[in-house]
Amino acid sequence: MLVLTFAATGRGNCVEVDGTPYVYVRTASGSFVMRADCPHRGGPLHLAAEGPEGKSLICPWHERRTATVRMRQRIPAVRTGRTVRAVLPHPPQAEVSHQHRPLSPALAC
Amino acid sequence: MSHAPNAYVPFELHGQELRDAVVRYASNPIYLDNEEWQNNDNPYRRQLRPQVLPHLDYDAVPGREDILDYSSLAVQRVLTSVYEADLVFLPKSGLKDRKWEDFQQFYSPSNRALGEAIRPALEKYAFGFLDDEVEISGKWTKESFHAYIESLGADDPAEASLTEKAILSSTDRERAARMWLIQFAPDFLSEASPMIRNVLGHYGATQSEWFKIIIDEYGYGVHDTKHSRLFERTLESAGLASDIHRYWQYYLNSSLLMNNYFHYLGKNHELFFRYVGALYYTEATLVDFCRRAASVLTSVFGDKADVEYFTEHVHIDQHHGRMALEKLIDPLIEEHGEHIIPEIVRGIEEYRVIQAVSDDDFATQIAWMDKGPEFKKLHAPVWAAIESGKVTAPVADIVEPYGELSNTHCHDGDELCHIVSGTMKFVSGFDSHQILEAGEGTVIQKNRLHGAIIESEECVYQIHSVGDYKKCLS
Ligand code: FES
Repeated sequence: MLVLTFAATGRGNCVEVDGTPYVYVRTASGSFVMRADCPHRGGPLHLAAEGPEGKSLICPWHERRTATVRMRQRIPAVRTGRTVRAVLPHPPQAEVSHQHRPLSPALAC
Repeated sequence: MSHAPNAYVPFELHGQELRDAVVRYASNPIYLDNEEWQNNDNPYRRQLRPQVLPHLDYDAVPGREDILDYSSLAVQRVLTSVYEADLVFLPKSGLKDRKWEDFQQFYSPSNRALGEAIRPALEKYAFGFLDDEVEISGKWTKESFHAYIESLGADDPAEASLTEKAILSSTDRERAARMWLIQFAPDFLSEASPMIRNVLGHYGATQSEWFKIIIDEYGYGVHDTKHSRLFERTLESAGLASDIHRYWQYYLNSSLLMNNYFHYLGKNHELFFRYVGALYYTEATLVDFCRRAASVLTSVFGDKADVEYFTEHVHIDQHHGRMALEKLIDPLIEEHGEHIIPEIVRGIEEYRVIQAVSDDDFATQIAWMDKGPEFKKLHAPVWAAIESGKVTAPVADIVEPYGELSNTHCHDGDELCHIVSGTMKFVSGFDSHQILEAGEGTVIQKNRLHGAIIESEECVYQIHSVGDYKKCLS
């Protein structure tokens, strides 16, 4: 496991670990850390729209839906002020870079 | 015959009802203003400035950016009093004369009941900002929790805090160090009292682990080694008195926030697991903190500083962090499930937030005290801007007689104090003041603790609420 800190919003709001990007999002049904790439073909999930009743996120590429309740359960994280600390499923020696990813309105409530 | 049960109505106070209840609590004679800067060996006297309390709004929970405003200071002072009605305090010189009456007043059923009635609403006001500051998400497991704990590096040596830097670079290092020791008095003189709130009850083997930490703090029942006794000696070696709340008026908002936070966790057992987290973090960081504190005090006061309080913690707490993790947290997670982890994490993070607020507040106060002469000089240009009409600000005209003491407080924006006639001793912290004569004055910085006493037969002065004094200078 790898614990990383990054910005909750703005510059550096994304960490890429061994090629997998993660962002912190605020949805209508709560805030959490999620993978920014879609499991289908790697589409930009950080630009997802909100599904009916806010229960899912819809990937902009092929409109695949993922239930937010499942996404929220995945990555243990704590946001304190503007900093997020997340426990990610990667080995400690993984390659890490901090980046910026824009978020769709549904993910920046 | 069937009876419809009465509907359960949860207890809640807000609005005018809450305000009235706060004022009623604080109107107790023991909470009125003091005519002196210090309390004199009387643990029951706590200046709550009840005259101001009807004008505050206790429903609008402040965010972190407003947490050092006056209403928060007022609420923290009230909460300190409410929590401490559970603690036994006796004056060092005995319960003589007025102190006997004050003792009965402080521990009266009325004071207790009025305090308990307002406590939940004031706790929401005082600690509500933490709901926004700290947010836990995701599914936590024992494994991810341990990875998180490792990542905090709580027992690694930390960088010098703002507080440390402020003391060591102060224009008056001894005064700054005394002001610092004063901030610890509410906590260290009744050390571990909030923690003892979690010793009662019956909850398995972890209860005894919790108790062991307290045994250490209490010096194994040998009074001279009780940690509060060690701290009394530290205070005395720095030329301070060690009676309870002598320096009540010099406690900063955030020092009370920090101390009250632990009472809040200990008093409300639904927050038990948060307390476990906060306890772990304090214990884990304490060794490094105490080592540094001893070195700051020795560097300021030389060998005359009695730092045993701090060096003792370096020895004794060496393993407390680990103990809290292995003997308290892990077994609790084992017994009660991983769903308690977010609360533990929350306690850790909340404590870290409060620590940061407190570090910043103290360092800013020392700068405010050190720069007293500069803030006095700033009166001239700010007053010129007001006099010329370039700046208009709400103004209060005040006339006070000789000896009138404005008990310490702070403002939510910058203000200009302008003396029309007479003499004022303007106090900006422990042992820190400027004398202001007619035509002089001082800028009063937002959120900075201060008070004043009139030194002439009468003093006429004005307070101009300029908001941001820098805007008057351009
Ligand atoms: S890449 Fe997201 S739906 Fe195909």
